[in-house]
Amino acid sequence: MGDNIKIIENATCTFCGCVCDDMHLTVDLDEKKITKAKNACVLGRAWFAQHGIPDYPQATIGGKEASVEDAVEEAAQILAEAKFPIIYGLSDTTCEAQRHAVAIADLIHGCIDTTTSVCHGPSGIAFQGVGESTATLGEVKNRADFIMYWGGNPAESHPRHFTRYAVTTKGLYTPNGKKDRTVVLVDVRKTPSAPVADIFLSVKPGRDFELAWALRALVKGRKLDPSIEQVTGVSLATLEDLVDRMKNCRYGVLFFGMGLTMTRGRHFNSGAVLALTTDLNEFTHFVAKPVRGHGNVTGADNVLSWQTGYPFGVNFSRGFPRFNPGEFTTVDTLARGDADAALIIASDPASNFPRKAIEHLGAIPVIALDTKQTQTTNLARVAFITATYGINTAGTVYRMDDVPITLRKAFDSPYPTDEEILTAIRRRVQALCGGPAVPLRKVS
Amino acid sequence: MSSPLRIINGRVFDPANGVDGEVRDLCIRDGRIVDQLPAQARQLDAHGMVIMPGGVDIHCHIAGPKVNLARKMQPEDHRHDVVPSTAVTRSGTGGTVPSTFATGYRYATLGYTTAMDAAVPPLGARHTLEEFHDTPIIDKGFYIVLGNNIFLNQLLKEKRHEEFREAVAWWISATKAYAAKLVNPGGDEPWKGRRNSNVSDIDANIPEFDITPRQIINAFVHAVNDLGLPHPPHIHCNNLGHSGNFRTTIETMKAAEGRRLHMAHIQFHSYGGELGKNPKSKGPEIARYINENENITCDVGQVMFGKATVMTGDAPAAYVLRKITGNKWVNSDVECESGCGIVPFSYQEHIYTHAMQWAIGLELFLLSKDPWRIVLSTDHPNGGSFMSYPRLIKLLMDREFRKQEIARVNQKAIRNTVLLDDLEREYTLNEIAIITRAGPARALGLVNKGHLGSGADADITIYDELEDKEEMFSSPRYVLKDGELIIDDHEIRQDHEGRLLHVAPAYDEDIEQQIKPFFDKYYSIEFGNYAVGDEYLHRHQTVPTLGERQS
Amino acid sequence: MSVTLTLHTQPEVPLEAECLSPDRLATLDQAGIAALPVLHGNRNMTVGDFFSVDGGKDLTVRIIGDLGRVKHVATGMSGGHLIIDGNIGSHLGLGMSGGEITVTGHAGDWVGPEMGGGRIVVRGDAGHMVGSAYRGSKVGMRGGEIIVHGRIGNEAGNGMRRGMIAVAADSGDFTGVNMIAGSIFVLGRLGARSGAGMKRGTIVSLHDAEVLPTYSYAACYHPVFLRHYLLRLRQLGLPVEEAHLGGRYRRWSGDSVELNRGEILLFAG
Repeated sequence: MGDNIKIIENATCTFCGCVCDDMHLTVDLDEKKITKAKNACVLGRAWFAQHGIPDYPQATIGGKEASVEDAVEEAAQILAEAKFPIIYGLSDTTCEAQRHAVAIADLIHGCIDTTTSVCHGPSGIAFQGVGESTATLGEVKNRADFIMYWGGNPAESHPRHFTRYAVTTKGLYTPNGKKDRTVVLVDVRKTPSAPVADIFLSVKPGRDFELAWALRALVKGRKLDPSIEQVTGVSLATLEDLVDRMKNCRYGVLFFGMGLTMTRGRHFNSGAVLALTTDLNEFTHFVAKPVRGHGNVTGADNVLSWQTGYPFGVNFSRGFPRFNPGEFTTVDTLARGDADAALIIASDPASNFPRKAIEHLGAIPVIALDTKQTQTTNLARVAFITATYGINTAGTVYRMDDVPITLRKAFDSPYPTDEEILTAIRRRVQALCGGPAVPLRKVS
Repeated sequence: MSSPLRIINGRVFDPANGVDGEVRDLCIRDGRIVDQLPAQARQLDAHGMVIMPGGVDIHCHIAGPKVNLARKMQPEDHRHDVVPSTAVTRSGTGGTVPSTFATGYRYATLGYTTAMDAAVPPLGARHTLEEFHDTPIIDKGFYIVLGNNIFLNQLLKEKRHEEFREAVAWWISATKAYAAKLVNPGGDEPWKGRRNSNVSDIDANIPEFDITPRQIINAFVHAVNDLGLPHPPHIHCNNLGHSGNFRTTIETMKAAEGRRLHMAHIQFHSYGGELGKNPKSKGPEIARYINENENITCDVGQVMFGKATVMTGDAPAAYVLRKITGNKWVNSDVECESGCGIVPFSYQEHIYTHAMQWAIGLELFLLSKDPWRIVLSTDHPNGGSFMSYPRLIKLLMDREFRKQEIARVNQKAIRNTVLLDDLEREYTLNEIAIITRAGPARALGLVNKGHLGSGADADITIYDELEDKEEMFSSPRYVLKDGELIIDDHEIRQDHEGRLLHVAPAYDEDIEQQIKPFFDKYYSIEFGNYAVGDEYLHRHQTVPTLGERQS
Repeated sequence: MSVTLTLHTQPEVPLEAECLSPDRLATLDQAGIAALPVLHGNRNMTVGDFFSVDGGKDLTVRIIGDLGRVKHVATGMSGGHLIIDGNIGSHLGLGMSGGEITVTGHAGDWVGPEMGGGRIVVRGDAGHMVGSAYRGSKVGMRGGEIIVHGRIGNEAGNGMRRGMIAVAADSGDFTGVNMIAGSIFVLGRLGARSGAGMKRGTIVSLHDAEVLPTYSYAACYHPVFLRHYLLRLRQLGLPVEEAHLGGRYRRWSGDSVELNRGEILLFAG
C-alpha cells in the first residue's frame, strides 16, 4: 500500500438497487484502488475491489484503437444515418448520462430502452394498470411489522436488504428489530433467504399468479375451494392464516422480485401482488415494492419518465415519444430485425439476450460504452471504455425506492465518463440531424 | 443576451405600479426593465395589444417524485397529446401531467414565466431539482412539506420552539427550497400507523407527539414569519374535500393569530353540509373571512370540467377518491417526512359534487374584495390542467359566458350557491393582471416579478386584445423571458433556461448536531448525503429573506 | 375500378402506413395514392416508394405482398373493404369504426386496438393483444368483430367492452383478461388464466380448460344463445361441428375478485 491514502465517508455502492450510501472507503490513490470498503456486503466488497484502472484503449473503431474524437465522429455518423436506431442499457450509469442518452434518442428519432425491460418492465406495466401503494425503505425500517418477500432471494442478490432496510434493522416503531416483525417468504424452493422467514410458502413453479389471485379473493372475503392446494401447492388453511396476518398487521410490506416478473404471467403477476396490496389497504396500511437489481435502473425509469412521459421502451420515430412494450423494447426490436443501429450504454446484451436478438446485434453497426471489455464491446463497430460511476465519477443514482443519492468519486480515471462521451455524441448528432442545441454542461 | 429593446404602443397593465391600461413604452436591457434606452434601440410594436408581466403560478404540481409517478402511471393520458420536437425545442408528451420539457413550453405559451411546485418531500428535493433542470423557459421553485415531519413534531412535543425554528431554516436551506408547506398537518401518523385513519379535528391530540394540528400550524406561522421567509407558510388544511370542512378552514386561519399565512386551493376547503353527505357551499363565509383578515392570502384551486389527476401529499384524501372512482391508485410513503396519493380523475358537469366544487371556486373569485390576496389556480393538475387557465379567465371576465356555463351544469348544485344571486361581477384586465401576476408575486415576496417597473425581471407577456378572453389568453403574441423574445408571433422561437428560485435562511449550525442522531436512527440514507449540493443548481437565484433585504 | 397496391420494395425497417385505408384511398387517383406519406423508420417516404399502384377511386383495396413490417394499416378505417394478400404487421385497424379487412396471411400484434366497429378477418394466425387495450388504458375494443382462422397470442380482448373475437384454433394466456363485456369464442384450447379480472362478458371454448380459483362452477347446460352465435361463426367459415351446436357446456362464473358477472363456457360434450 502506498502512502497516498484517502478515506471517503458516506460513499455509495452502486452494485445493486439497495444503493447503500454508508460506505467507508479506503482509497490508495497511487495504486488507484479501493483497498477497503467498510460496511459493504460481500457483493459490494467485490465491486469496489475489482475496479482499478484497466489497460484498454479508450476507444476502438472496428476493433482497432482510435482516438476518442474519431470514435465519437464515427458513432454520430452511424446514429444520424440510421432509420431505426436503438439506445439500450443505462441502468449502470448516472442520471446525468441518462439525460444525454434520451436527448440523443430525441435527436436521431430512435428508440430508447433500459434494462428495465428485461427485469421489472412487467412491474412498470402493472403499475400503469393498477397503481401501487409503496414506501421508501426507511418507512419499512421504522414501521413494518409484517414483511413478505415473493419471488426473490435478497440474501444472495441484495445482501444488506435484511439488515439495513427491512428485517433485522430497528426503527421508530420497531425498536426490537426482527422481534417486532413477521417475515414471510414465498418462493418455488427454499433459497438461502428462507432462514430469515417465520413462514415459508412453497409455491408450485409457475403458479404465482394463482396464489396471488387466491389471496386477493380471501382478502375480499370470497370463498375458495380447497383444491387451491393442488393448484398452488399451498393449503387453504395456510392461505387463510396468511390473509389473517396480513389484514391484522399494522404496516405490511410486500417485496417482489424477478421470480415473479420474469416467469409465466409476467406483468399480470406483478399486477396481482400490487392489486393485493391495494385490496389490503381496506383493512390496514400495506405497501409493495419491486426489489430492483442494477444500481441505477430506477434512475433510468425516472429520467425517461420526466423527459418523455414513459419509463422504458420509448420510440421517437415520429419526432415525439411513443411507448409500447413489446414493440419498442430492445429484445423485440432486435429479435424482429427492426433496428439498423444500436448504441449500448453500460450493459452487455450480447452476453445475455436471446440468441435471435444477439444475432441481429451482430449484423448491425453497434456503438458500446462500458467500463470494461464485454461481448458487446467486442462485437461493436465503435467501442468506448469509460470511467466507473460511483468510483471514478460523481453523479446521481436512484435507489430502488426512488430516493436519489449523490455519488462520491473515489479516484480519478484516465477514461472519460459516460456523460462526457454521450455529450460529445449528442453535440455531433445535433449538428448532423439538426434539432435543439445542446446546453452547456452545468458547472459542478 | 439580446440587444436593448423598447416595446411601444401597447396598453400596459402593471397594477403593482398603478398602471391600468395606459399606452406607454417599456424599455428592456440585460434582462431587466429599465427607465430609458437610447432612441435608436430596437423596437417592438405592440399596437392593439395588451402588455402584462409574465404570469406567476403560486401553486401547481409540476416536478418531483409524485409528479413523476403520475406521469409514469398514465401512458393513456400522454398518447393523444404529443409534443413534437422542433429546431429549437425538445419533444415531450402532454395530458394532465406533461413531461418536463412540455411543462416549460406550455406555461410559456400561456404567457406564464414563473411556477412554483407546491409539495415536495425534502427527500425528493434532489429529484425535483433534476426535473427542474429539464423544465425550460420558466423560473421555478418548490415548497417542502414539513407539517408531518417527525423530527420537527418531536421538537414541538418538547416545546423546543427555538430549535424548531432553526430546524425549519436548516431544512429549507439544505433542500434549496423556496417555502415551507404544510399538508394535512398531523395526518400522516394515523394514515401510516393506524390503519389508514386520519385526523379530522384541528384540535385533536396526535398521541405520537402529544400535539394538535393547530399547534403545528401555529408553530410554523411563527417560525416562518420570524425567519422572514419571503413566502409565509403555505397550508393545505385538514379535511380537504370533506363536507363541513369550512370550520376547520376558518380555525386554521385563526391559528395564524394575525400573522401571514397562505391558504392553498381554498375551494377544496369551503364546504358545508354534513360529513359523508353532499357538500353545500360555504364560499361566501370563507370569502368574508378572507376579506376581513389581511394577513391571509389564498389561491383558489378552481375545478375545471374534464380530465384531471389528483396528486397530493394528503394521502388519505386521495384514498377517499380512489374508493369513489375505483381507478388505479398510488400511495407513496416517505420516511419521517411525508407521503402522497395519486388518482386519475375526471370532473363532470352533471355530477352534483363536481358542479358544486366548480361553483364554489367561482363564488370565491367573485365575492373576494381584494384581488391582491386571491390567486388564480387550479391546483394543477388536481382541479384541472394549467392549460385551462384561459377558460377560467373567460369565466371571470365574461358574465354572459359564465351564465351559459352555469346553465349547463348540475342545477341542484347551482341552487345551493349564490351564483344566481346577481353575482354580476366581471373581472377587469387589471384585476386579471393582479390575480395571475402581481398578486402571486407579492404573496411570494418576489420583488422583481409580477410588475413592470424599473429593475423588474423582463418577463413580459403581450396579448392581442380580443373580445374572446379565452382565445386571447390562450395564445399570447409575444412572450419575453429575461428580456429574450421566446415567443414571437405565437410560436416558440428559442429555448431558454429559466432560473431556480430558492431561499437560504441562516440557521444556527448547532441544530445539525441535534438532527444528525435522528437521521442515524430513523432515516435510511446517511445524514452526510441528505443536504442537496450546489451541483444540483442550474441557473438560480437565492431570494433574500425579509431580514436580509433590510440589512 | 378497385385499387391494387403491390409491394415492390420490402421496407428495411418498420413502415408505418396508417393512410392505407379504403375510405382514405377512395377519393384519390393512382398518383394521389402513390404520393401519400408513410414513415419508414424515422424517414418520411411515400406509398409509391414501396408500392406500385393500380386503379383508384374505389372503396375496395387489395394490397399484395409480405407486409409483416408494415404497421398501423387502416387506422381509423370507417368503411370499404381492404384485402391484404399476405402477412400484415402490428396495429391493424387501430380505432376502426366500420368496413371489413381481410388478411390472407398472418397478422402481427395488436389487431384491432380500440376498434369500435367493422370486421377484421385473419386467415392465418394473429399475434398478442388482439382487440386489447393499450398499456395504461382500461378499455380495449368497443365493438365490431375480429375473426382469426388460426391461433392468437396472449391477452386477447384485454379490457374489451363490446364486440366479438372468434378464434378457430388456440388462444394464448390471459384471454379476456380484465374484460368489461363482450364475447370471445375460442374453438381450440383456451390459454391459461383466461378471464382473469373479468367484470362481465362471455368466454367460450370448445374444449375443457383449467379455470382460475376465483371462478365458481355454476351448471352444465345448453345455452340457447350459443347456438345462434356458433351458427354465425360457421357461416363465417369457422370449423363449428354439429356436436358443438347442440352440446352441453359447463358454466363457470367469475371473476370473484371483480364483479363476478362474467362467464366462461366450456364444451362438455
